[in-house]
Amino acid sequence: MVNVRNVRGGDGLADIRAEVDDILESVIENTRQATEDFFESYGENPDPKILSAWIEPRAWREIDYVFLLNEQIRRYGMQFSRKHITLLAKQSFQEAEHYEMVGEVIESLGGTVPKSVPAQAKPWSDFLWDCLERHPLAAIAAWNVSETSASGSFEPTFKAGEKFGFDAVVKVYKKIAIDEKFHVGLGVQILSDYAKTDHDREEILRAMRGMRDLAWKTFTPASVKANI
Amino acid sequence: MPQDMSAGQLDPANALDVVVSAITQEADGILSFDLRAPDDAPLPAWRAGAHIDVCLPNGMTRQYSLCGAPDDRASWRIGVLREVDGRGGSAFLHDGIAAGDSLRVSYPRNHFGLIDADRYLFVAGGIGITPILPMLAEVQRRGKPYTLLYGGRSRQTMAFVTELAQFGDNVILAPQDEVGLPDIAGFLADPAPGTVAYVCGPEPLVDAVEALCADWPIGRLHRERFAPKTKPAIEPGGFEVELSQSGQRLYVPPEESLLSVLQDAGCDIDNSCTAGICGTCLVKVLAGTPDHQDDVLSDDERASGEVMLVCVSRAASDLLVLDL
Repeated sequence: MVNVRNVRGGDGLADIRAEVDDILESVIENTRQATEDFFESYGENPDPKILSAWIEPRAWREIDYVFLLNEQIRRYGMQFSRKHITLLAKQSFQEAEHYEMVGEVIESLGGTVPKSVPAQAKPWSDFLWDCLERHPLAAIAAWNVSETSASGSFEPTFKAGEKFGFDAVVKVYKKIAIDEKFHVGLGVQILSDYAKTDHDREEILRAMRGMRDLAWKTFTPASVKANI
Repeated sequence: MPQDMSAGQLDPANALDVVVSAITQEADGILSFDLRAPDDAPLPAWRAGAHIDVCLPNGMTRQYSLCGAPDDRASWRIGVLREVDGRGGSAFLHDGIAAGDSLRVSYPRNHFGLIDADRYLFVAGGIGITPILPMLAEVQRRGKPYTLLYGGRSRQTMAFVTELAQFGDNVILAPQDEVGLPDIAGFLADPAPGTVAYVCGPEPLVDAVEALCADWPIGRLHRERFAPKTKPAIEPGGFEVELSQSGQRLYVPPEESLLSVLQDAGCDIDNSCTAGICGTCLVKVLAGTPDHQDDVLSDDERASGEVMLVCVSRAASDLLVLDL
């Protein structure tokens, strides 16, 4: 199976690769666990509105990525190759598609698509925008962790989809899962290519460590209770 | 189905030595060769539609369909038409090989496999009977209805006619000197739902069947061609791609991606980045040499030549055969 985390690129992450991999592995596992916990509690009361409330913060993430990616390109794009500008723009387009698709699913479940940052997503969003302010690679590093974490939620979601019959949610997230491989691979390649100094790598690790502690929290049962 | 392979080399990991145990005159200009392992060990298994590469002692390599019985693990059979305008491969086999000689051959490969269907229509022209013959036995074993339309210049030039008698009325022989050109249009008209067609033979025959089946659902017509005597002009950077499941052959021009050509041909290939990063458009390669231009396949995956990412990668050989 193709492993996008082994995408070819420069050696910018070589000195910190072990910790980067640890962070990514731990965030996948935390998200997987949080998702399984959510669906276990969902099984006690499989109300579509609860499922919708669980998905809503992630709808926000999609549109926030659109804003972040475009600001990333505007602010720092000239430091990247044209190929990478195009690919970041392509990622932005796909995130917009995801916002649209997830939005349709939320509405079909009786929920409301967020048009401003929901409370559960605020720490995540604030952290990303702070990273964008700090360093050209920090936001990319942070959302690389966030995107990677989402991959931990897919299989438990698909299994729950079979059990509870929410086919529309599964269909959307199967499409998103395909695109996430691209986003994760692109992030790793950009970080590898453009991280040149120890300061670059420190900022990358700061961003990744911070997002590791945030990314999985909106998948938990507790986050949903706060939303309803 | 003879086809020229460059270099006359077989991958040692997928090749074996066999002995020609018998040569039989099957028809005018057609010999069959029975091949056995030197120690009479069982030969690798195969299924109807498979072919082997035969590496000739003169350095040429040719492909021939296996036309014996798949459950006979002791022996393989190939049928070879002496090609009047060929480049010498078939002539070498006819004139230069005798019973007892050794040949180096590849393990069987199959780009023309028999899919499951409710009904089968087979069209064979001349030596194109070779891959079809084991298919008849297989569909008969499965208990599925089938008919073969088998054309040739005359009974004397048509191989395996006696052997086909076992299939009774399921076989329509159409020697041209007796009945004229076969009525392919009538044979393929109004197919019942669930019908698939298999055709093998000269280019004009395959082209005619393709045209008649143009409106059939995708995947219902399977074809195997002889190598064209004149190859299509291939520009620098362009290459051909063959879809093994249908036999369809496409041209990829230098300015277009393989993914784009495949999609235009109706192949539904998942993709996302179209930049060689995500690995989503991974496809199995059955023959030919990929020119990997992606950023994500490992060195081992690239070196195997067995997979490629069609969004950005191309071909180092003139032809790629993909498992599509």
